[in-house]
Amino acid sequence: MSPVNISRRKGASQRLDIGGYLPAVLLVVLVGLVVARDPAFLGVASLRSVAVQAAPILLLAVGLTPVILLGGIDLSVAALTSLCSVLLVSWANQAGITGVAGVVALATAAGAVVGVVHSVAQVPSFIVTLGALGLYSGLSLEASDATNTPLAEGSPAISWVNDYFAGIPAGFVFGLIVLAIVGLMVRFLPWGRYLYAMGSAEPAALMSGVPKIRVRAAAFALTGMTSAMAAIVLVGRTSFGSPTLASGLLLPAIAAVVVGGTAISGGVGGVGRTLVGVLTVTVVQIGMVVIGIDPVLQNVIFGAVIIVAVALTIDRAKLSVIK
Amino acid sequence: MTLNDTITPDGEHVPAVRVPHARRMSRLLPGRIDQLAPVIMLVVLTAAFSMLNDQFMTADNWRTIANQAAIPMVLAVGLTFVILTGSIDLSAEGVMASTSICVSLMLANSLNSNDLGLVAVAGGIAIGAVFGLVNGLLYTRLRLPSLIVTLGTWFIGLGIASYVFPDQQPVVRDRSFRSWALGEWFGVSRLVTIAVLVVVAGAVLLRYTRIGRHVYGIGGAEDLMRLAGIRVDTYKTLAFVIAGALAGLAGLMATAQLGVGNANAGADRLFPALSAVVLGGTHLAGGRGGVLQSVLGVLVLVVLGNGMILSGVGPYVQQAVVGAVIIVAVVATGWGARDRLRVVK
Repeated sequence: MSPVNISRRKGASQRLDIGGYLPAVLLVVLVGLVVARDPAFLGVASLRSVAVQAAPILLLAVGLTPVILLGGIDLSVAALTSLCSVLLVSWANQAGITGVAGVVALATAAGAVVGVVHSVAQVPSFIVTLGALGLYSGLSLEASDATNTPLAEGSPAISWVNDYFAGIPAGFVFGLIVLAIVGLMVRFLPWGRYLYAMGSAEPAALMSGVPKIRVRAAAFALTGMTSAMAAIVLVGRTSFGSPTLASGLLLPAIAAVVVGGTAISGGVGGVGRTLVGVLTVTVVQIGMVVIGIDPVLQNVIFGAVIIVAVALTIDRAKLSVIK
Repeated sequence: MTLNDTITPDGEHVPAVRVPHARRMSRLLPGRIDQLAPVIMLVVLTAAFSMLNDQFMTADNWRTIANQAAIPMVLAVGLTFVILTGSIDLSAEGVMASTSICVSLMLANSLNSNDLGLVAVAGGIAIGAVFGLVNGLLYTRLRLPSLIVTLGTWFIGLGIASYVFPDQQPVVRDRSFRSWALGEWFGVSRLVTIAVLVVVAGAVLLRYTRIGRHVYGIGGAEDLMRLAGIRVDTYKTLAFVIAGALAGLAGLMATAQLGVGNANAGADRLFPALSAVVLGGTHLAGGRGGVLQSVLGVLVLVVLGNGMILSGVGPYVQQAVVGAVIIVAVVATGWGARDRLRVVK
């Protein structure tokens, strides 16, 4: 990236990078710690609760990964998920599966608009999505009148997420399928190559004719789509829509992507790593309950784990100036 | 970035490689449009609201606006330092929560026999400064992105607040402390005076001291500053310490207003303050902007909110409008600076 690489501790950072497997090692160690305290953690019931808890974070984090690979950020995903949950309940109650498809289409379009504004107007994604965050939360509060709206009994278009597929919660399986599709797109479509090119050396990518507006718009549209999908899973689980339903999911989702080993500065990482990150974040969240850590200390530990995990896994050799 | 790149006196980083483009002219001609934009917004909003509502242009209402702006302004000044270096600090809400709880337990309160007065106040600012120091050290020593570090300390701050939080909410009984929020100077809450002093100090520090010059320099071209032998890491850490100390001060101000130690003292304070800094025209990439711009940004947001309340707009729609305004404002002010090969993440 830069011919003037002045990272003084380059040697130290290269020693830390053991082939990108560190996030997975960290996950195994964390699971080991929890199991040592409570062997029942690896039981079916407990693993199912991990899967149920992980499903919405997984969908959000999968959608965020391409945006972060580009070196951008999307702060609006959780607010969009909450907005979608409000719309889903009313549209699914009225129009069933068509309503659900409509919400997904709308969220995808909203994401695409954000991507186009960000890249055509050349405004940092941090700001555009910060504005979108306010816009979506205002709209969902207004649309729901700041109350929870219940889902009508037996909406098959949504309630499937509570079924089990081969013993695994269907919402989580859905997340895995989306992860696999996005993973294949990133791996095999030109779009996927462009993500890495723009994330690691955008001027060079632009010089070689990468269609940056389309690449960005597609990445943010995907984020919008997975936000709506996360809303489906959340509404299925709680059976109501609420303007604050997903507000606690933004930070875990970003943390999951980054803990998995995708660099926040772009160009390094991938969708597969995000799965590891999502499981790490969920194991930390659930493991603290299992181990019996004082609930008031959970935020401290969660914050510390994010910092430690990124400190261990970030590939500093590929970052010249860290902001 | 290459060595052939140039840095304009404004600290703007101009890449050496650029395809000639007609739009470059628009960058050269008005020049100051992004600095005038917040002033124009403020004037337009003020004019529009005073036509829409008789109560807007009254002395009473401007007092309300000043009171509402005090805490966001202190936060925004601190954030400006960090953002000028090109980094970001998300930890303010956690810092405010921790300070609010800790300080209310050190002042005369309903739960214990402490009565530390000014020592408690200094303690609150020190707690903030320590958070900032931790942020800065983790960021510069471990070479972690500031977004991640401060995301982590945001949680840690909230966690410390709930850990220290006793069974009951501590009610602050120190009258002289509460008088900072309840008493008035010049017709407005004394907190406004504090905010103004913070703004002046911040502006002087940035404009007339070495710290300020280096903060701009780091935001403009960090690698060149390093090559020039400047202790970049020290100044980056200092920016975080300033932001942390001011977040601590904001926590004190909120506690004086609320009269209780509250773990939600900082709730929903961060994103408005960040929006204000950006609306004011400080670039997230660093190197351009300043404290006075952030003040304008805060005023635009507070006037917008206040005017909409007076015009009978519901609070939910307000939130949506503010979000849209941020996007439109930033798009409009940055429109002239677009360039085919410009990299904006």
